[in-house]
Amino acid sequence: MALSLDIFLQVLMDGIVLGFMYALIALGYTMVYGVLEFINFAHSEIFVLGAFVGVEILLALESSGTLAALNPAFVVLMIILAGMIVSGLAAVALERTAYRPLRGAPRLVPLISAIGASFFLQDFIRLVESVWHNSFYLSYPTLSLLDRSVRLGAMVEVPFKSILVIATALAMLAGLYLFVNKTRLGTAIRAVAQDPDAAALMGIPVNRIISLTFFVGGAMGGVAGVLFGLHYSLVNPYTGFVPGLKAFTAAVLGGIGNIPGAVLGGLVLGLMEAFAASYLGILTDGAFGAEYKDVFAFVILILILIFRPKGLLGEKVREEGV
Amino acid sequence: MALLEVQGLTKKFGGLVALQSVDLAIEDGMIAALIGPNGAGKTTFFNTLTGHYRPDRGEIRFKNRSLRGVTPDRITHAGICRTFQNIRLFGEMSVLENVLVGMHARIGVGLADIIGRSRRFYARENQAAKRAMELLALVGLEGREEEWASSLAYGDQRRLEVARALASKPELLLLDEPTAGMNPSEAEGMMALIEKLIGVHVRSVLLIEHNMRVVMGISHRVSVLDYGEKIAEGTPDEVRRDARVIEAYLGLGKQADHA
Amino acid sequence: MKNRIFTAGLVGYILLSSLLVYYFPQSVLAFLAFEASLLLIYYAPVSRAVKLSLAAATLVVVLPLIGTINGYYLEIAIQVGIFVALALGLNIVVGFAGLLNLGYVAFYAIGAYLWAIFGSSQANEFISGGYFPLSQAWFFVFLLLSIAAGALTGALLGLPVLRLRGDYLAIVTLGFAEVVRALVNNLDKPINLTNGPRGITPIERPPLFFQPLLEGLGVAVDPAALYPLYFYFIVLLLLLAIILVTRRLEDSPVGRAWKAIRGDEIAAVAMGIPVVRMKLLAFAVGASFASAVGVLFAAKQVFINPESFTFMESIGVLAMVILGGMGSIPGAILGATAVTILNLQLLKGLSLWLNALRQSGLVLTLPLIGSLDLSRIPSQFEPAKYERMIFGLILILMMIFRPRGILPPQKRERRFDPSTSLRTGKLTTGGDRGEN
Repeated sequence: MALSLDIFLQVLMDGIVLGFMYALIALGYTMVYGVLEFINFAHSEIFVLGAFVGVEILLALESSGTLAALNPAFVVLMIILAGMIVSGLAAVALERTAYRPLRGAPRLVPLISAIGASFFLQDFIRLVESVWHNSFYLSYPTLSLLDRSVRLGAMVEVPFKSILVIATALAMLAGLYLFVNKTRLGTAIRAVAQDPDAAALMGIPVNRIISLTFFVGGAMGGVAGVLFGLHYSLVNPYTGFVPGLKAFTAAVLGGIGNIPGAVLGGLVLGLMEAFAASYLGILTDGAFGAEYKDVFAFVILILILIFRPKGLLGEKVREEGV
Repeated sequence: MALLEVQGLTKKFGGLVALQSVDLAIEDGMIAALIGPNGAGKTTFFNTLTGHYRPDRGEIRFKNRSLRGVTPDRITHAGICRTFQNIRLFGEMSVLENVLVGMHARIGVGLADIIGRSRRFYARENQAAKRAMELLALVGLEGREEEWASSLAYGDQRRLEVARALASKPELLLLDEPTAGMNPSEAEGMMALIEKLIGVHVRSVLLIEHNMRVVMGISHRVSVLDYGEKIAEGTPDEVRRDARVIEAYLGLGKQADHA
Repeated sequence: MKNRIFTAGLVGYILLSSLLVYYFPQSVLAFLAFEASLLLIYYAPVSRAVKLSLAAATLVVVLPLIGTINGYYLEIAIQVGIFVALALGLNIVVGFAGLLNLGYVAFYAIGAYLWAIFGSSQANEFISGGYFPLSQAWFFVFLLLSIAAGALTGALLGLPVLRLRGDYLAIVTLGFAEVVRALVNNLDKPINLTNGPRGITPIERPPLFFQPLLEGLGVAVDPAALYPLYFYFIVLLLLLAIILVTRRLEDSPVGRAWKAIRGDEIAAVAMGIPVVRMKLLAFAVGASFASAVGVLFAAKQVFINPESFTFMESIGVLAMVILGGMGSIPGAILGATAVTILNLQLLKGLSLWLNALRQSGLVLTLPLIGSLDLSRIPSQFEPAKYERMIFGLILILMMIFRPRGILPPQKRERRFDPSTSLRTGKLTTGGDRGEN
């Protein structure tokens, strides 16, 4: 295998797709961290939930025979919306039940609860799917539209799937940017992130803003879940762990609490991973191959946390008083 | 030569200058007080002195040794120990254990002693417990050693903090508002205790205090901070009459003597 | 008098429950009743000496006897013992020092692979000369070696990461464990160190050094029957050692320093406690326990592969510690026992029962609900597979409703009495008193 240009461009494309996926998931981690200084460990399951909502709707349409009759663009739009709403609401419910009672407890207490919630949700999804379909490994039905591709120049063939991921992610990010920076609710989120006590004194309903943050972060995770399903097809209740951990890495890489940072971190990590997966083998003469891409991501996570916990875009970290 | 010598100590938080080139010297056998309005930088001064904050500029010399870049635990070993304004006891430990924690570095048993339960282990631990009991008696907490630290009354918690700090055998004791929240008779007791410590348990004391009766009653020398700068220094009487001090306090609409 | 009545009651209960197990060897409930006797001993208002001797009699005599009747129970006891040991080790890190280590299983894996590689022919892949597997006697050497290896890797990981804030530390340890697992999974090339996902087998078991002695006594030795008993006693000894070391550390300047760091790190450091060094020690001690247990696990299983060392195992052990009560030795023991038995016996029992129902083909007619065709219970719905849900529920519910656990740590009460203690060279430690 040579370092040819077409392979390079292909890998670049894969990296960007992966990067946007990570970026969308990372938003959920980073927004919640910004507001509560807390790692929502169960966010990876909120993401998986979105993927399952998508596949359930598609399977239902397929078995009722309406899938072929509907406009595929409409179908995709519909499942993305559904994934957003269900994941967003699930994130809100999660905060209400598992995190809110622990507000003000030592930092590790809600984190342990979040880990518990993550595990619970994995098996809960499994339970529902096992009873419902007698299987919890589901695959997305093929949408012919997404199997097409366009040629860019002579070298690269871009599948519709990738375009869908990138376009949706860009639309989401633009929407989120406008929401956070140009609306009253977005301002309220930023105010709570900066200083919850002061925000409460200014009459901002902090609890409702926290719920809203979970909804928005969860919705982004849900979109990512649907896109993940459409792109990679296979989903199971445990799919979320590794992408979740990597998206968290992306959030930390960009500077946790920082929304543009999450996008940057996601793209950097996605590209590094794609290139590592393709070129590690070549560079090490086959000794270490693509199977080390996860190791690669986790090593980056460890190194970033140790040497630059503020991340690339160095967000403020509230000073801990003595 | 002074026990502690601080020169040009400066500490900034972002744009905020918390300490601006502060000088301070504490002689052997002295009770010194650091006063100033809220937010003047007194506690920041303590935190910088004990290594919790890294100073931006300036020099701290203790027993003629520089403390720059020394970690808080090493500073305690060097002979400076402190109490906290917002009491920081170990609530899930007994009163006795709190004092024993203060002795951590001085007990001197190794892992082998601990796991092998050597003769030395028992000797040192019992010795430590004995000294802890003496310190508890000194601060007036005899008979309370088995209670949870968190169950003590406020004034008792302040006294326990003093005993815990003394356990590390400091030469310079830093007390951050030792009489805050105490009633007048408790405050009297604390004053008597502080005076009793000098020359016996510690060489010098530096205290932050808002209670002017305490400050004027026991300190030999008073330094006044305002907006991170030292604006006055002298005997209690000199400071009481200093125009800038009066302005600093009255300017903030604060009652200087709110004892 | 009261002491005697309760002692008699306990002895009666132990005998009765063992008889139940004897007559109903297949009954999970009978075995649970027997296991509950240890809990009763712990709680009964009898003297310490009575408690210790009854517990010893139950563990050393009665349980092995039951185990010879039904080997399955011995297997359960061994697994419970392994998890109790792991929970005690993690309790030092999480419970005493307050450091959330989400990658604890990595150290367990390091110990397990240490013996698996050298106690099987695996090491021949990269060391020529055909020296491997090492002889069985090396098992004990590796048990000691693994303690050092665990402490070393624990310290190596701890050194850079222990300055991190609590939640970041948790994620870094999780990442570390994932890296270790990925390495174990992939290091079958370029040099075959771990044999990758296929795992390593057969792994040597500890030597039956007492075999000649038994044969001399005229006992016919059947290794297949003897090994479970043998492992049971090794686990028991290892547990005793771990409990002893943990207790001694707890009642020492080190234990107090850990608790102080957990309570208030800033105050602890202001009192002169070298925080990083103490955290490192907690990490290293916890890791060395896990590593030693790993050696034992490899020898007992004879086969290991990366599947045994997943994130789920780390969280399972964490759930045990939290259920029992962080920082509490009896809590860790109870938590590990309860969770392991729940997984091994109750969930599996439920799975078997559902299977039986399914195959019975019965159709239940329930009022209001209608008829229920039991054969249509989904085959993918196996309660035994829902460990994560159990762990998850334990973690959430405990954090919300009882963050200090079922058996929270008791206040260490030390009545100081110089006249006796200095002469006898003993600490005068009073009985435990309830919290608050």
